[in-house]
Amino acid sequence: MTKTTSYLSYIRTNNLKCIFLFLIIFNCKNKPKELPTEIVHGKTITLKYAKGFSVVDYNTYKIIDIKNPWPNTEKNYRYVLINKENAAKTSFLKNEYDGIITTPIEKVVVTSTTHIPALDLLNVENTLIGFPGIDYISSEKIRQRIDDGKVKELGKNEGLNTEILLELNPDVVVGFGIDGNNRSFEIIKKSGIPVIFNGDWVENSPLAKAEWIKFFGAIFNKEKEADSIFNKIEHNYLMAKKIAKNVKIQPTILSGAMHSDVWYLPNGTSTEAQLFKDANTHYLWKDTEGSGSLKLNFESVFVKAKDADIWLNPSNYSNLEILKNANNQHAMFKAFENKTVYSFTNTTGASGGVIYYELGMTRPDIVLKDLIKICHPELLQDYEPYFFKRLE
Amino acid sequence: MTKDYKYSFSLLIIFLILCFFMNISLGSVNIPLKDVFNSLIGNPTEQDTWQHIILNYRLPKSLTAIIVGSGLGISGLLMQTLFRNPLAGPFVLGISSGASLGVALIILGSGIFSSAFASLFISKWGVTIAASLGSFIVLLAVMMVSIKVRDTMAILIIGLMFASITSAIVSVLSYFGSAEQLQQYIFWGFGSLGNLSWEDLFILCLIYSLGIILSIASIKTLNTLLLGENYAKSLGLNIKQSRLLIIAATSLLAGTITAFAGPIAFIGLAVPHITRQIFNTSSHKILLPAVFLLGAIIMLICDTIAQLPNTDYTLPINAITSLVGAPVVIWLLVRKRKMMF
Repeated sequence: MTKTTSYLSYIRTNNLKCIFLFLIIFNCKNKPKELPTEIVHGKTITLKYAKGFSVVDYNTYKIIDIKNPWPNTEKNYRYVLINKENAAKTSFLKNEYDGIITTPIEKVVVTSTTHIPALDLLNVENTLIGFPGIDYISSEKIRQRIDDGKVKELGKNEGLNTEILLELNPDVVVGFGIDGNNRSFEIIKKSGIPVIFNGDWVENSPLAKAEWIKFFGAIFNKEKEADSIFNKIEHNYLMAKKIAKNVKIQPTILSGAMHSDVWYLPNGTSTEAQLFKDANTHYLWKDTEGSGSLKLNFESVFVKAKDADIWLNPSNYSNLEILKNANNQHAMFKAFENKTVYSFTNTTGASGGVIYYELGMTRPDIVLKDLIKICHPELLQDYEPYFFKRLE
Repeated sequence: MTKDYKYSFSLLIIFLILCFFMNISLGSVNIPLKDVFNSLIGNPTEQDTWQHIILNYRLPKSLTAIIVGSGLGISGLLMQTLFRNPLAGPFVLGISSGASLGVALIILGSGIFSSAFASLFISKWGVTIAASLGSFIVLLAVMMVSIKVRDTMAILIIGLMFASITSAIVSVLSYFGSAEQLQQYIFWGFGSLGNLSWEDLFILCLIYSLGIILSIASIKTLNTLLLGENYAKSLGLNIKQSRLLIIAATSLLAGTITAFAGPIAFIGLAVPHITRQIFNTSSHKILLPAVFLLGAIIMLICDTIAQLPNTDYTLPINAITSLVGAPVVIWLLVRKRKMMF
């Protein structure tokens, strides 16, 4: 009896094994070769602040996830980064990924000036072959490449010159979307060129935005360099914040300017407001919340900020006269009378691009130091503001 | 003027004064009525900022609203009578699009044209002069055609075509414009009443008065034109000269207003219709002052709504004029069941 039972159980076990074996063979026949991502444990790249992306390194390949690359979306994107050698051995289910990018990347197209400093700092600027609106680029190294004719003009982000881009045939296009409706990107993707969305601008803290250098570090296999660059930026930022913390007097801050009848200014939860806070200033709208900027009536701004000590970023007006000409009411503020109006508009590159728009996001440490120097002139004695200038 | 009209006019004048005070006393900042009057008569107010808000922001804004509403209304009335078409108005005949083209050329075109051209217009008056020139040139072109073409309907269509051409040029310029330039141009398009200083208002007022004088001078001509051009001719009216006078008045009024306050939609087209429905007459002796009063009242109401009293926010005036005005016209037409024209 015991023998019979054990025999039966032997058969049952073997049968189960057979079934499993069959299933495995069957599966192997019907599915392309795929690296079992669940089994190979990848190493997740550490991110301290950024929430919009994650990178997992599986030795032979990397997976990049992009979360919510534009505001008010739940959309996520997943990309595979794999080197040419491994790509030949492995195949991925194309439908499961939004793009398969083979490395090393030799030709790249980026679409925002905020992507430029990463290329510059990681010393991969020679990979840039195309950009929409090259006059906006101020990086000296890249301007040299533009002068040498090595970077092609691609029109505008919302209407990329698809023909030129397809002819350039880059290894990857680093795009950004405002709402996910960019038809040019769809055409590019269909032609087999991967488009990877960069959502640095959606992050809600200065250091989180700066941390996106690690995204470029992952793409260009320069994680270590990206890490050490970011650590330096973070260290400088936190040090500057610490220096400003000890000051007892907080100057009151007004920001933005009128266009038509509306005064546009950063809301209290924006990165700008966070920079004002970290510079230990009293931003008059620090308690507001919401996405986008505040759109206020002149009267409410005037009542609150008539006597503000400092006026930062009065839109893109480049001197006091233009500011007054745009709207007479601008001249009614104490900061205007005292000429304590500061803007980054006048710090431009060789072809007129505003450097702040390019470098400000990657280097929040410099922005913060500028603000501290302006708002607390007694601190940072030998420091000269880089982006901000007093409006004349 | 019959007794009936006197009664209506006095009512409208009282209503205009009320609207004017309502406009001045309502805004984002809650200012007590006592302080509003104090600042208007030059007495000190509880807070200095209130006085500035009343005297340098709300007062010029209210006066601008009166000028814009009455001026655009009258120019619409002149166009509708001249072209004998209920759809005519500053927007339809290309005055506004001409102004837009002028503004687009200096804001968006500065990158394309030489820097000397750009710096010429960088001054305070750049946008205003460009908008006036733009509207004048487009209207002049329409007028030149109107000399050759006798059919007023054809002239209206030609006006629309000019508007299409100008908007196409604006599109091309927009494509090449930078983000900042586009932003500036779009903001101009929202329209603005609170952007004028006392100096600006003085200049606007001068040109506006000239336009009004020309309009009053053409009242007789307008009444004669209503009978048809041939009939008017038989009465000894110099059609060419009359056309020129009316078009000059319109372009002065609509062109300058658009230049200073941006393209304000709807008022020019709707106010004459609302007035005809209320006054039930086609005599310009009655219509002209009535359009003046109603235009000013409607614009003051629209501006008060746009300011969203007691909130920190404000809405673009251009949107409010259409949102408020269009339903009124629909309601009047449904009630009267026919268009007075």
